[in-house]
Amino acid sequence: MLFINRGNLDQLLESLRGDYRVYVPRSMGGSTGYSLLGESDTDYVIGSIRSFDPLKSFYFLSREKVAEDFKPDILRDEKPPCIVGAKACDLKGFRILDFVFIDDEFGDPTYMKARKDGLIISADCTDVGETCFCTAVDINPWPEFEFDINLSPVDEGFIVTTGSEKGRDLVESRKNLFSDAPEDQVEAVKQNRSNIKSRVMTSAQEKGIPVADRLKWVIKKHYESDIWKDVSEDCVECGACNTICPTCHCFLLYDQKSDGKLARYRMWDSCMINDFARVAGNENPRDRLWMRMRNRFDKKFNYFPEVTEEIGCSGCGRCTAACPGKIDIREVLAKLEV
Amino acid sequence: MKNPYRSIEAEVLKVTTETPSIKTFLLKPKEELTFKPGQFMEFSVPGVGEAPFTPSSDSQIRETMEITIVKVGKVTDAIHELKPGDTVGLRGPLGKGYPFMKFTGQDVLVIGGGVGLAPVRTLMYGLFHMRKQLSKLVYRGGCRNPEEFLYRSELEEWMKRDDIDMKLTVDHGDDSWNGPIGVVTTIMDDIDVNFERAKAIVCGPPVMMKFATFKLQELGVRDSNIYLSMEKNMSCGFGKCGHCRIGPYYCCSDGPVFTYDMIREYPGIWD
Repeated sequence: MLFINRGNLDQLLESLRGDYRVYVPRSMGGSTGYSLLGESDTDYVIGSIRSFDPLKSFYFLSREKVAEDFKPDILRDEKPPCIVGAKACDLKGFRILDFVFIDDEFGDPTYMKARKDGLIISADCTDVGETCFCTAVDINPWPEFEFDINLSPVDEGFIVTTGSEKGRDLVESRKNLFSDAPEDQVEAVKQNRSNIKSRVMTSAQEKGIPVADRLKWVIKKHYESDIWKDVSEDCVECGACNTICPTCHCFLLYDQKSDGKLARYRMWDSCMINDFARVAGNENPRDRLWMRMRNRFDKKFNYFPEVTEEIGCSGCGRCTAACPGKIDIREVLAKLEV
Repeated sequence: MKNPYRSIEAEVLKVTTETPSIKTFLLKPKEELTFKPGQFMEFSVPGVGEAPFTPSSDSQIRETMEITIVKVGKVTDAIHELKPGDTVGLRGPLGKGYPFMKFTGQDVLVIGGGVGLAPVRTLMYGLFHMRKQLSKLVYRGGCRNPEEFLYRSELEEWMKRDDIDMKLTVDHGDDSWNGPIGVVTTIMDDIDVNFERAKAIVCGPPVMMKFATFKLQELGVRDSNIYLSMEKNMSCGFGKCGHCRIGPYYCCSDGPVFTYDMIREYPGIWD
């Protein structure tokens, strides 16, 4: 295993700016948020827990022009993203988005390109957020997949592991920035992982979240229950839970004319909003808020396990943190266990 | 890489007014664009938006395509303003077509209602092309009143054919109508086929599909042999945008034609 100190990590990131748009977490309020790394910037943090913002926004843009006039051209053409400090829950988000958007016949071209050419430098969690519950959806609070290079914070630097050919090539090409990992530091990583995992587990257990393999079953069992009416009482239909969610992928296509050209935009959409399922002639199969709430949970905890064997929730707790109605996804799941 | 969001340019060649709120548009795509019965297209008015429609013309005609459209909202209002010579967009074909291979050697029942007669027309052309490979062919169509019958003269031509058992009904008659009066399920009792093995295809408004399905079950048609054309809110048309989910399926990419056994357990299918 290898070690890199913070100064050398700064150099590594600086060297990546030529080939990538490098996004780093920076401290914002009590949290972290992603922004572009400028020339010689070193004002980033690796972050002890996931950032405020979901990483999907760098791959699946909130609003993107996807077609112009009748031309077949793919419009976004920029350097691929390099995301620094991505956490395990963010990587789980990519698993779901990959399932949705990567496809031979109808794949989303800009998402696929960003995923193929992009670089992910992930990091272990070193703390537990107030709303975190990743272990309840079978995710460990350290990256185990979908990363190129992972950083495990230790004193004065990071233990480095590689998770892909691209990551191994990158480390190989910049050997001078890395040294052998000291044994005691490798041990410290193991300690941190087991400590953080047990803290998330304790927190999730205190909330009474059903165990992961029961989630699908409890949703099915309570499909017709009044629980959905109760839990949607405080919902204000803002859609924040959707926009902030690393696995929410719904969008709508919107056409307009600008500068005499026809433009088609792909924009994030929210299944909590009344019009989401409305059809021509004004019929709406989900005209009640509780039906939309139920649909959101059904999609994440029943649909995705059914079609991909992956729970469509990363346990990041962003939806709970963002909800102005203080709807806590953990408490909703716990109610279903009764 | 292919851009799945891009429409192909097409020219409006002809506009036919079918009823005060329904028009048929004959379109000529500027690039090759073919479809199978049961598949649909996203039809766009430049700068206004897209909406999904099933073509109503014969899928073996490759140079042009007809689409019959009811005026019900923003996009269809704009479509109804179109004139010959105007430019529109077509994106598709999308969805899966009817599994014609499975119809070979079988009795086939087609139940169509209201504006559902538009996609049924494409299907009927397809079935007529393979008529010799089918056993019996039965058609039962219904509308609210005779004025709502699309392609009435064409339907009357089909009635004269001796290779189809065809009947039409209306909920409310008028002076021009001397056929049966009642909903479509009231003209299904005299159907004479091998229900145990027959394939039934239903297309129409949700309430009509619901009662036609129950009637077919009563007659002994298997749920796995009842093909329903589902309608949900569809934006992308290829299973990515998330709008049209029915249980584990997307209406657009897994359908829009589903057999009843695939979807019967999911709530809201008739909504």
